[in-house]
Amino acid sequence: MPIVTINDQKFEFDSGETIIQVAERNGIDIPHYCWHPRLSVSGNCRMCLVEVEKMPKLVIACSTLAMDGMVVHVNSLKAIAGREHVMEFLLINHPLDCPICDEAGECKLQDYAYAHGTGESRFIEQKNQKPKRVKLGPYVMFDAERCIACSLCIRFSAEIAKEDQFTFVQRGDRVTIETFPGKEFDNPYSLNVVDICPVGALTNRDFRFKARVWDMSDTKSICPGCSRGCNIDIWVRNNEILRLTPRFNEAVNDYWMCDHGRINCFKFVNADDRIDSPMIKKAGTHVSSVGWDEAISKTVSTIKRFKSDEIAVIGSPFAIVEDNYLLAKFARQVLHTKNIDFIKHINPADQDDILIREDKTPNSLGAKLAGISPRNGGLNFEQIMEGIKGKKIRCLILIEDDVAAISQDFLDSLSNLDSFIVFATNNNKSTELADIIFPSATYAEKNGTFVNFQGRIQRIRPAVMTIDLDRSLDAMSLSRLDKFGTEFDRWGKARKINARSTWRIILQIANSFSMKFNYETSEDIFLEISQTIKEFDGLDYELIGELGIQLKSYQLVEEPILV
Amino acid sequence: MPLQILLKDIPNYHEIEVYRQHGGYHIFKKAVSKKPDEIIDEVKKSNLKGRGGACFPTGLKWSFMPKDNSMPKYLCINGDESEPGSFKDRQIFEYNPHQLIEGTLITAYAIGAQTCYIYIRGEYVKWIKLMQKALDDAYAQGFIGQRMKETFDCDFTTEIYIHKGAGAYICGEESALMNSIEGKRGYPRVKPPFPAQCGLWDYPTTINNVETITNVPEIIDKGGEWYANIGEPKHPGTLLFGVSGHINKPGVYELPTGTLLTDIIYKYAGGVPGNKKIKCVIPGGTSMPPIRGDQIEGLKMDAESLKAVGSAIGTGGIIVMDEDTDLVKVLARITKFYYHESCGQCTPCREGTGWMLRVLNRILDGKGTSKDLDLLIDIANNIEGHTICALGEAAAWPVKFTIQRFRDEFEARVGREIILPIANKVHSMRTTLEPLTDIQVG
Repeated sequence: MPIVTINDQKFEFDSGETIIQVAERNGIDIPHYCWHPRLSVSGNCRMCLVEVEKMPKLVIACSTLAMDGMVVHVNSLKAIAGREHVMEFLLINHPLDCPICDEAGECKLQDYAYAHGTGESRFIEQKNQKPKRVKLGPYVMFDAERCIACSLCIRFSAEIAKEDQFTFVQRGDRVTIETFPGKEFDNPYSLNVVDICPVGALTNRDFRFKARVWDMSDTKSICPGCSRGCNIDIWVRNNEILRLTPRFNEAVNDYWMCDHGRINCFKFVNADDRIDSPMIKKAGTHVSSVGWDEAISKTVSTIKRFKSDEIAVIGSPFAIVEDNYLLAKFARQVLHTKNIDFIKHINPADQDDILIREDKTPNSLGAKLAGISPRNGGLNFEQIMEGIKGKKIRCLILIEDDVAAISQDFLDSLSNLDSFIVFATNNNKSTELADIIFPSATYAEKNGTFVNFQGRIQRIRPAVMTIDLDRSLDAMSLSRLDKFGTEFDRWGKARKINARSTWRIILQIANSFSMKFNYETSEDIFLEISQTIKEFDGLDYELIGELGIQLKSYQLVEEPILV
Repeated sequence: MPLQILLKDIPNYHEIEVYRQHGGYHIFKKAVSKKPDEIIDEVKKSNLKGRGGACFPTGLKWSFMPKDNSMPKYLCINGDESEPGSFKDRQIFEYNPHQLIEGTLITAYAIGAQTCYIYIRGEYVKWIKLMQKALDDAYAQGFIGQRMKETFDCDFTTEIYIHKGAGAYICGEESALMNSIEGKRGYPRVKPPFPAQCGLWDYPTTINNVETITNVPEIIDKGGEWYANIGEPKHPGTLLFGVSGHINKPGVYELPTGTLLTDIIYKYAGGVPGNKKIKCVIPGGTSMPPIRGDQIEGLKMDAESLKAVGSAIGTGGIIVMDEDTDLVKVLARITKFYYHESCGQCTPCREGTGWMLRVLNRILDGKGTSKDLDLLIDIANNIEGHTICALGEAAAWPVKFTIQRFRDEFEARVGREIILPIANKVHSMRTTLEPLTDIQVG
């Protein structure tokens, strides 16, 4: 193997690798703006200048191939001077509006100005003036003055999103970005450019001016928008989710996520239509809030009125593996019903070969593996709906889904039920018909696991407090405000929903039937799963870790698993 | 009469019939009777250096092209000629287009290019028309394209197209030129890879200047040795010197390399109007370092001699400035040009050219200080060597060398004191855990 020396350390490399790739792989930081591991090399920012012995000029590490015997100095005086000059050039026309810039706190120009700047400016001329608020598309806002013309966004659009929608116009320091005539920057992945933009030139119109980044906590989670299961960070301020950003996972979503996931998959957590306590329909009219104990005893007494084959259970591909597992166990051991299934949410019209999957749920495979399927001649979902129509099924338990929204026919049939028990996060068409409603915690308020279309099991973690969850006691991630704010701040007086993980509610109901289910945490359930279901054999939360793990029997699944 | 290789005193030489009467297109027939490598060797023997400014040996450049003929290969003739003070290729387009075409054919044969582009700056509307007429005539007589097989009784064919520039100086940079031909934004490419490996549409490509290629037929006709003995041995041949500025007879003069600058100015171009003294000469287009008036005595015009006085031959565009010239104004104007033409791709040139221009304009307004002169040199030094292409140097050199060589004139225009707002310098040199490699610890 050829060997390159970087900062006096020797590294082996494959031919064709650039200096920055070798350095990155070995944990050596070479400052850069315009380089991205997944995009073509443009070499325009000049920030990655390094000194190579026997080369007369500084070279850029992003495009210079590593050679056998090459000796690279990242931090020689000459290299540092070169980077300081580049920093000086980048800053002369950059507006100093960090105090109102969304990027502040996660801005590479800021970071490198501290690390590589000279700390003073020799520029006393008038700065360039350019457009400040250009709507490039539905989600992305462009500030031309902040732009350092690194071309990452243009390359991302062309190479990853595969849609050429904008480009540079003008020359010299007048250079700026424009969408092509008649085009909008509206591809399904447009917001990724906000993440890769090294400065505050491109901002998320859904998030801009909402929060300083250091005032938010970030929690590693999984996007529930489709069966891809993109790894994400949930950013929370004052117990409210303000944005989602993709989290690098080479096996699942690489560095990216789609705009649908980013924009539409968190607002329901903070929405006004959240179900905020258990509710019971009294005297055949409206539902009204009741305490947990009352709702549970009402549920127990209701269920006891029916024979087991009059009861059906619908699990959920939106719920975690643990929820579904406990529901299946409850159906088996308490309800003794074989009628159990879940609803598929497939939209073949909305998929691509980048990230977006036709299965619009995060855990179809997990729900199936957890035992949500008709047992020994039990009814599947369509048969359950037939049974409700024919009044053979008289009691339906539904978790985290909206069966009434699927068709008018279903909606009409549901009124045939004697009893309809719904676990839901938000009000929907099914909760409107329900006799008993339990408030379920959303994916952002609980621990648990999803299995994506590849058969990869991944962890979600609580980012938002409910009444039952405490940020410090439950080891949730903390922001600066969480740690140092006082009770006199507006901070901390946030709304907390009275909701619980679905499994916890099922557990309480089951134990009211004098079962002795004994789980303190979702991981307790998961450990039982790992002992009883072969696909999960030997797994625990620690093994799944931050990036998930491939289920053994689902190795190398490339195509979607239609469950 | 001096030796004429590129521009000949033959009436109507631009017409194909006249060109043919003087042996035109017979040299190509002679060329295809040899192997391509023999052509390259002949050009190597001639020691022909590129006329675009870099003086790179032409034969050596051709030899970088892969010999494999299974893939497309391209030849680009660079006639973008946009450097202020440079107007020589225009004369070839107008007065000797067929020699350029024949040179293109020979070069294409030598490197195995099936397609050739002659890239002409868009502002040369008239010369594009003239060149197109010459091409059409050559096609009509079967000298280019598929009919070459019959005309020259050979296996080789090539096509020649004219590509019009769209008004950007940067497209004269060879990799930006290729992007421009591909229909892309005229951005220079990061090198390596070099064009001979990965050029036009990622295929091997050679880019040569118009004047360089126009030399080729004569070299093949009369032999490399003959050519190598013209002018200065290390930079042989004749050059088209475009003389402009404060000069009585501005124009293009074909003279052997090594001709004295004073001969060009006084013997051929008629001297300086009003018999004024010369303050400054830019020897090769505005991007080249200027020469002081007291340096021109005995100075020969060839690559080596100019290097010795701290300048370069460039494109041979000689700009003469008399003793009354305001060099601050000249420098501001030159800098404005490079500011306007910087493509904006890479940071030092994009930001630095505008900065230098603004400082120079401030000095012109009488608001400069002597510290600004040091700042300008510093900015120029920080651009130089840190950019993707040579436009960085082209913008930096005039600033750096004009101020250095005429410092007294600049000092006279600026105030002595300045109070710059200087923030506290709070940073150490070290940026990471690893110690600085240049500092020995212990």
